Amino acid sequence: MSDKYIIQIKNVTKIFGDGVEIKALDGVDLDIVRGEFLSIIGPSGSGKSTLLNQIGILDTPTSGTILLNGVDVTKMSDKERSRTRNKELGFIFQYHHLLPDFNALENVMMPLLISGIKSSQAREVARKVLDEVGLGDRMKHRPNQLSGGQNQRVAIARALANKPSIVIGDEPTGNLDSKASDNIYELLRQLNSEHNQTFILVTHDEGMAAKTDRIIRLVDGRVAENSVNSG
Amino acid sequence: MFEFDVAARHIKSRRRQTLFSIIAVALAVGIIIVFMSMMSGYMSILIDSTIENQAHITVLPKEGEDYIHLYHGLEKHIYEQEGVEAVSSYFQGDAALQHKHNAEGVLLYGINPSDENRVVNREKDMLAGEFTSLENPGSRIILGFKLAENLDVDMGDTVTAQIPGAKTIDFTITGIFQTGTPVDETVVFTNLRRLQDFYGLGDVVTGMGVRMSDAYAAEDLANGIDLETGYDAVSWIEQNAEILNMLEMSEGMVYFFYIIIFSISGFGIANILIMIVMEKVGEIGMLMAMGTSRQSIMLIFLLEAVILGMAGVIIGCILGYAASLAIASITIPIPPEMYFGMDHLPVEIELKNFISAGIFAMVINIIAGVFPARRASKMDPVEAIYSV
Repeated sequence: MSDKYIIQIKNVTKIFGDGVEIKALDGVDLDIVRGEFLSIIGPSGSGKSTLLNQIGILDTPTSGTILLNGVDVTKMSDKERSRTRNKELGFIFQYHHLLPDFNALENVMMPLLISGIKSSQAREVARKVLDEVGLGDRMKHRPNQLSGGQNQRVAIARALANKPSIVIGDEPTGNLDSKASDNIYELLRQLNSEHNQTFILVTHDEGMAAKTDRIIRLVDGRVAENSVNSG
Repeated sequence: MFEFDVAARHIKSRRRQTLFSIIAVALAVGIIIVFMSMMSGYMSILIDSTIENQAHITVLPKEGEDYIHLYHGLEKHIYEQEGVEAVSSYFQGDAALQHKHNAEGVLLYGINPSDENRVVNREKDMLAGEFTSLENPGSRIILGFKLAENLDVDMGDTVTAQIPGAKTIDFTITGIFQTGTPVDETVVFTNLRRLQDFYGLGDVVTGMGVRMSDAYAAEDLANGIDLETGYDAVSWIEQNAEILNMLEMSEGMVYFFYIIIFSISGFGIANILIMIVMEKVGEIGMLMAMGTSRQSIMLIFLLEAVILGMAGVIIGCILGYAASLAIASITIPIPPEMYFGMDHLPVEIELKNFISAGIFAMVINIIAGVFPARRASKMDPVEAIYSV
């Protein structure tokens, strides 16, 4: 294993079978460099989210291996997968999925509390991260008291709280207007350069993809394009 | 513990529904505590009254014999046994009592009043006169108030006793008692010596009553006397075996009803938890994505069952206590000869009833929580996240 790659995907296939078998991923090979900011694009049904779920250890491939920091996550037990998700991965989804009964600060504290950190310590860390995403003055607000863009910022803060090595975003701006969308992208970019975390974004937005370090285009579950952006 | 925080917030977010499920548990616990308190009260009144109004051991003649001869020696022997407080020998015969045109069949007991009083406190039951008036070997008699009513007699009146074989004797009434049991209608006491003379069988008795310091040791001593002396010694437990068995059986039946009542309240808990699980699918998926283990997801929903159950149990215990006190204070107009002279419902508030109702409710509530909790913990995180 090379220390250069944080993720190495080798010949990963995912077949969904409920009567009729659908091959969502078909022999995908992909190496992701530590600190990279890359986007996965492709038409609907091309396997973008499926690939992201394999990388996020939310799902298991039908065949193939996924090495995260050199460890094969497909062989992990359920408990190890949970622990790895908590320590190594941060998620941002199209819908923010914030816990509606908790305020912004408590939502950001959640991954820290899950990892067993003391509440007072978690509060301190969460405050800092919320400040970083520009929501220092909205900490006590609940999701229903915040705008779509603000909620997505809270979701980003939550994804970053545990200082994961990889942040995964599935259409993180898909539910926002173009201005809010640009702001979120800028924020992600800034965080990526400050913390050297690996960012993997699935997006429909070709414009946004063009601004990332590398574009992976999926078509019918295969990698059809793997191009480094020069700009 | 973040699981507790999440559980508590879920409950808070559905205030009205959770309130109803807590009330359901509280009512179930309260009702069952009242039932248990009444059951305990009834049992202890029944047992206390049996222990109080009956000899703990009754010694009867040997098999095939009608009398105990030379009973003084046996009396002394039993008295020397450990735990024995008093022994009272008696002669019991059937007789008809007559006053003017009224006649009643009775059980005529010849006793030594001071001994008898030590075995069963007869003095406390006296409505008129004194039990010790029978110390006088004259023709004195003490009878139950019901029998007095039936014969239409009062203190100082004379009644004629007739035993099979046409022998008659006149007795003067020197006391009337009331026990609240059928004894009031059938039993008549007189002096032992007087009755022995009346029957003309010499210095013999038909039995003796024994009182012990610990009524529950009666069974063992009765068996000992039986084996050692050959006399037929019967404890109060053996004499009342049928009624005690029936009580035990009815207690078992009552538990069946407890299960039904608690199950109904348990369904309330299961219902609210299923609703929460269905409403929080996306949240459960996100918690899993953040690294919450399946066990922790299960724990969150079990904790919700525990929180709801605990709240219900605490409120139910308070309700049950208040209702038991209220019921105990109600005086109910029932004829005193029924139910051992009770004029209020027998309620005994015991800590063990609260503990067992509480534990019972909690166990059923947790069982009710298992299904929704398992359902939540078995969710596929991908499906859960993208279901929204």
